[in-house]
Amino acid sequence: MSVLAVVALSQAENYAVVADHLYTMDADPQGGPGLVLIRDGKIEDVRAGADIKVPKGYQVIHGAYVTPGLIDAYTSTGVSGAYNIPADQDQDESTDPNTADVNVRDSLNPEDLLYQYVNAYGVTTLQVTPGPRNPIAGTAGIFKTAGPNSPFRTVDQLTLKLNSAMVFNLGDTPKEVYGSKHKAPVTRMKTAEMIREALLQATQYQERWDKWKLEKSDPAKRPTLDTKLAALAGVASGKTPAIFNVYRADDIDTAIRIGTEFHLKYMLASVTEGYLIRDKIRQAGVPCLVGAITQPFENLQTANATYENAELLQQAGIPIAIMTGYEGYVPKSRVLLFETAIAVANGLGMEPALRAMTISAAKILGIDDKIGSLAKGKDADVVVFDGDPFEYTSHVEQVLVQGAVTYQKRQ
Amino acid sequence: MQKTKVVLMAAVCLGAAFRSTAAGSQTARDENVLVVEGARILPITSPPIERGVMVVKGGKIVAVGEQGKVEIPPGATVKDAAGKIVMPGIVDSHSHIGIDPNPTVSDSQDANEGSGPIQPALRALDAIDPADPNIRMATAGGITTANIMPGSGNVMGGQTAYVKLRGTTIEQMLIPGTIGGMKMANGTNPKNYGSREQAPMTRMATAALARGIFAKAQDYKAKWDAYNKAVTANDKTAKAPDRDLGLEAVGQILDGKRVVHNHTHRADDVMTVLRLADEFHYRVVVHHGTESCDVADELAKRHIGVTFTMIDAPGGKPETINFSISCPARLEKAGVKVAFNTDDPITNSRLLLRSAALAVRGGMSEDAAMKGLTIYPAEMLDLQGRVGSLERGKDADFIVLSGPPLSVYTHVLETWIEGGKVFDRSNPVDLRYATGGFNVISRYPQPQGGGQ
Repeated sequence: MSVLAVVALSQAENYAVVADHLYTMDADPQGGPGLVLIRDGKIEDVRAGADIKVPKGYQVIHGAYVTPGLIDAYTSTGVSGAYNIPADQDQDESTDPNTADVNVRDSLNPEDLLYQYVNAYGVTTLQVTPGPRNPIAGTAGIFKTAGPNSPFRTVDQLTLKLNSAMVFNLGDTPKEVYGSKHKAPVTRMKTAEMIREALLQATQYQERWDKWKLEKSDPAKRPTLDTKLAALAGVASGKTPAIFNVYRADDIDTAIRIGTEFHLKYMLASVTEGYLIRDKIRQAGVPCLVGAITQPFENLQTANATYENAELLQQAGIPIAIMTGYEGYVPKSRVLLFETAIAVANGLGMEPALRAMTISAAKILGIDDKIGSLAKGKDADVVVFDGDPFEYTSHVEQVLVQGAVTYQKRQ
Repeated sequence: MQKTKVVLMAAVCLGAAFRSTAAGSQTARDENVLVVEGARILPITSPPIERGVMVVKGGKIVAVGEQGKVEIPPGATVKDAAGKIVMPGIVDSHSHIGIDPNPTVSDSQDANEGSGPIQPALRALDAIDPADPNIRMATAGGITTANIMPGSGNVMGGQTAYVKLRGTTIEQMLIPGTIGGMKMANGTNPKNYGSREQAPMTRMATAALARGIFAKAQDYKAKWDAYNKAVTANDKTAKAPDRDLGLEAVGQILDGKRVVHNHTHRADDVMTVLRLADEFHYRVVVHHGTESCDVADELAKRHIGVTFTMIDAPGGKPETINFSISCPARLEKAGVKVAFNTDDPITNSRLLLRSAALAVRGGMSEDAAMKGLTIYPAEMLDLQGRVGSLERGKDADFIVLSGPPLSVYTHVLETWIEGGKVFDRSNPVDLRYATGGFNVISRYPQPQGGGQ
């Protein structure tokens, strides 16, 4: 990738980012001229106006458009490698429909080409998720795409939030994967039943442990440890959010039914037919991570994908983020910016679109104390564009993660 | 093809009420004169005309020029296109619409005849479903002409079909006088036979199988040439060789009548394509050409063009790992003509303008990018005499855009083929082929602000 410079080009310095159009995605008005001061990897200050003097001691970066680092709210990039050969596919442990005990942290490869590729298109944070094959797929985590610790970053250095969610897959894929092996689930009914049963078991498991602890913890009566049930207990108790990856409207409805039944803290991912059931989603108060819209119509459940989905969900008052999800073939990853650009061209306004990729995503994922806007004290994750961020012919000129330049467009 | 009523059928689950409202798709080509006036016209093969006029009669362009300088025939239907952009219909030089229909379910997938790697007798036209909604979606993206091809699973995948995106039968779609090209492939995909312990298992065997069929065709041709010569010489004892439909088609390649469309990614695979073409003296177009920019000089000196598939990211298989949006720019600099294709369903036919725009993002000139959507792919299909530019005498295939062609904010407003409108964004049914959601129109929520 000759256009990419994937290692941090500098250690964190003090930067003054001067913008013609500054989108802080914070409370202040958006799109006017302004200045962002960066010190020690954090946003030191943000100043609006055209005639701001840059204080001494800062290296100046000038940009036509400046936004916070973009957040891909749900993707298998990092665990599903670019080569798409068995050696680099670590997203789907499809040996068992319930793999609640697996965690993406143990598959993540920060050196994968795609993991670094998306950084060059402005993505500084990813929620990395297991793939689409298992009804109970495992635990997701939130990671930076790069950082000041380059060239080699361990997963721990990139981690923003571990155990961000437990992923549940409904719809066509799990039943196709297991049904073809004559194993459960063969039907949607069974997928739902397996999830219900696991959540019930997890609830009872937690009760056993709570009871034992309450009863003075007699070592002889200690309940058996079960790593799957332990992982699901957090979901059942509402501590760990659940993400239901769903496409068809009736599968969305099933997710809401299970979420309501078990009082889960949950959100929806992909949500291809969300626009057809948006009133129900709004009533349930569920945030949506809106899936890629440039994908082929690979199966029946995505046949009704529309470029207007994000806008139609947003109009209904549903909090939205944008996600690229999982790709099984060429290309092995979607570009968050392009997916959102098409939504913008089809009715989603520029500001709502930027919000969906930044502060809304951060709020939905519970990381808005650290990232998602250019606000004092937050991580200095910044994207510098030479034009309208959504225009096809614009360029990302620079990407900063925690105050370090991780991508610089070649002149 | 005279007086063909142009009706693109709503393919899946559309209620009767919606079928009858698809008026925008039913405009017939006829002898009436249509004048498109006031638009910024991009003829492609000549400079843009700021306030242009285009006169269409009998499905052909009869005049293009500046407003006030072109005579408007009396009785013409005048279409005011002020503030809009008019450019030629887009030519997609590599597509699987109709042969890999939407949605992708195995029953309807007919691109790859996985029963053997050499299939020159196959004709894509026998497997194309004109009712595939992907075809209508392609018109929503401004595509008017397509090269519909078999897939890349075979070394020689079959005969391709050059079509216009109109009509309810493949006969109505086919461009009269064309025989299509021949699909070939090397690199990863044909090697899939290896997993069944069949050839080809290696790139060597892929090339050997290709050589084998061309050698056979040379032999076949020699026999027929000898026979024809004997007949001409009034030799009554001359016996006609047995006909072979596959070898006849390969013979057309050797005769220069049929172009090879060769799927290839890695630079060394591109060189294998060139080596075979040099060896058997045939015309070839490099398809995808992910690493073709690394051997751009070799392509330039042979005057071989590349039709590039602009994907979002590298990978998905090892041979596309070096994908870059800058490859078309590098080819342009070396003097190679570059077209853009959808490879639908790999990229969606509604987004072919985007492919050219991303090449500009990668450093290509706008001029080359626009030619890569129109006249260059037309040349690659030997159709430059009929399509690919707005010139007197060419087919009246054009699109009306809301703004600059390479902007994300621009919508295709109308698509016309041979003087008949096949897509109209203001039509509520057509709109859903542009946005998606055409199966569920009765349940589709009304966006605030109209979704335009």
